[in-house]
Amino acid sequence: MSVSFPAEDPLVRMHRDLKRALTKGLDQTKWVMGIDLARCIGCHACTVACVSENKLPPGVVYRPVIEEEVGVYPNVRRRFLPRPCMQCENPPCVSVCPVTATWKNKQGVTVIDYNRCIGCRYCLVACPYSARTSDFGDWYNSGAEASSQALVGRAAAAKGYESNPAAEYSRAWPPRGKGSPVGNARKCHFCLHRLEVGALPACVSSCVGRATFFGDSEDHDSLIFELLGSPRISRLKEELGTKPAVFYLA
Amino acid sequence: MKIRWVTILLLLAIAGLGAGSWGLYQRLAFGLQPVAFGSHVPWGLWVSLYLFFLGLSAGAFLVTSLAYVFGLKRFENIGPLAAFTVLVALACEAQFILLDLGTMHRAFYRFFLSPSFSSLMTWMLVFFSAMGALYAVKTYVLLKSLRPSDRATATRNAAMVRRLSLLSLPVGLLFYGTNGAFFAVIAGRPLWNDALTPVLFVVAALLSGGALVTLLTYIFRRASDSAQPAVRKALCLELGNVLLGLLILFTLLEALQIFIGYKTARTDLLASLDTMLFGPAMWSFWIVHVLFGTITPLLLLASRAKTPKSVAWACFLIVASFIAVRYNFIVPDLSIQSLPGLDAAFVHPRLSPDYAPNLMEWLVSIWVVSSGLLMFLLGVRFLPVTSDTLGGERHV
Repeated sequence: MSVSFPAEDPLVRMHRDLKRALTKGLDQTKWVMGIDLARCIGCHACTVACVSENKLPPGVVYRPVIEEEVGVYPNVRRRFLPRPCMQCENPPCVSVCPVTATWKNKQGVTVIDYNRCIGCRYCLVACPYSARTSDFGDWYNSGAEASSQALVGRAAAAKGYESNPAAEYSRAWPPRGKGSPVGNARKCHFCLHRLEVGALPACVSSCVGRATFFGDSEDHDSLIFELLGSPRISRLKEELGTKPAVFYLA
Repeated sequence: MKIRWVTILLLLAIAGLGAGSWGLYQRLAFGLQPVAFGSHVPWGLWVSLYLFFLGLSAGAFLVTSLAYVFGLKRFENIGPLAAFTVLVALACEAQFILLDLGTMHRAFYRFFLSPSFSSLMTWMLVFFSAMGALYAVKTYVLLKSLRPSDRATATRNAAMVRRLSLLSLPVGLLFYGTNGAFFAVIAGRPLWNDALTPVLFVVAALLSGGALVTLLTYIFRRASDSAQPAVRKALCLELGNVLLGLLILFTLLEALQIFIGYKTARTDLLASLDTMLFGPAMWSFWIVHVLFGTITPLLLLASRAKTPKSVAWACFLIVASFIAVRYNFIVPDLSIQSLPGLDAAFVHPRLSPDYAPNLMEWLVSIWVVSSGLLMFLLGVRFLPVTSDTLGGERHV
């Protein structure tokens, strides 16, 4: 009985694929994500990495991992389903926006203009995957004591993290509490700001089980293109005709 | 009698504005942070109340259509009252929706700078504005026609009212239908995603709005009605018959929706219907909506011995209970998880499928309703919308 080890870490290959895509030009790429459910161990590292990368406030989450228990004792298993934004080809959230604050960019990613969104939350209601959350303006450090610890205190430390916003959409946003994205709809954007500088999305880089794959579906040499040909592939709620760009290997 | 009614309502409005101002301060100072709804139930009490007032605004539409489009002259008596009521209801609707927006200030210019005509919300605003403009002009012309004038002016005013009414018929139907379609087009929401929804919205709007106008006709014409008791009685009874038809139609459509929903046995649709009929707020469906809002008014309106007073009571019950209809339309469908287990995947109150309005939301609602009540009372006090002279001359 022989054990076969992968020739290289998938992350290394995906980085190589990403570099190739950037050379080709971002406008000619179609970003696609694949999630191998058999490899997901339910560690939630992707969720935490995403929250940290995008400095998401309380109640806002881009990539939760749904846990499900299946079977009857003693044949019981836990199943994990990471759920990023599906970046649908036919996104119901886009057509309902009354002020064109959300659209699909050339790379197939549904983006939001935080300075245009009026916060009506129609897109939240329209998304069949509940992939959008609203930023109600909550703070992690609200109610924390100013100086309960020896050095800077909890509030000061939390403020240092929270009040400096993340560079979502590669833009400098005002300090938290002083405008967008407070009051807006928010969602996963495949970490476009990381892709532009040659880094994979935070959820991909942090995946302990190497269960999340990412790349350009137009690149026939890429790992993601190989995976798209797998007979294990499926998409969530196919019947709705949304055509997600996130594939699951079941 | 008139003074007592108006005084009581005026005191209620002032008390409501006083109490509600704390909630309004919270909303304006802290945005949506103090509200109880979250991302999985993103619309709550305020959107339900928007729909409630939407229905009430349809009262004028119904009455003026009956009077000036379908030629039922008796309804011309309450034309100005009905048209003014729609303006007040539209003002309340606008307040509820504005206060519900995460970035309220952008609504004032974003709809003009970057509108999306693929969104039914944009069309709602278009028809809302059209309704507001039409009824503002119609109210003005109706009030102007009450002043003594020569025959030529009276004929001109009457023709103008008829033209405005003819125009408001398609605009009104589109407005109320668009509000239904706004929900019906959401494929991921099982209860809403139904071709019947826009029809149900139009009927619901006519029913609740018609009930409100009938109730106001009874209250205000009763107060100023020494000369024409027979006219008032006949008007209330006729409106009662119209409402009976609408109530039967609405109940049939609603029953059909529930029946078909259960027969299809779609898991998500069943979950939604079960939440509405047997969930934590089942009392609002069975007791408030079915018992007080449907069965009791049906008995009162269908009775052969019905009087203007019993019709008014039926109307009061329909209007008062209609908020339960709107709440039961909005919240149960939203509280059903689109992906099972999502609520437990990342735990936070904003990501909970459970929703109950908090004190702040109620206080804001009280403020808006009180502002509407005050507007209405001031209108009744200073504008001749309930004048006994109405209906004395020929409008059309």
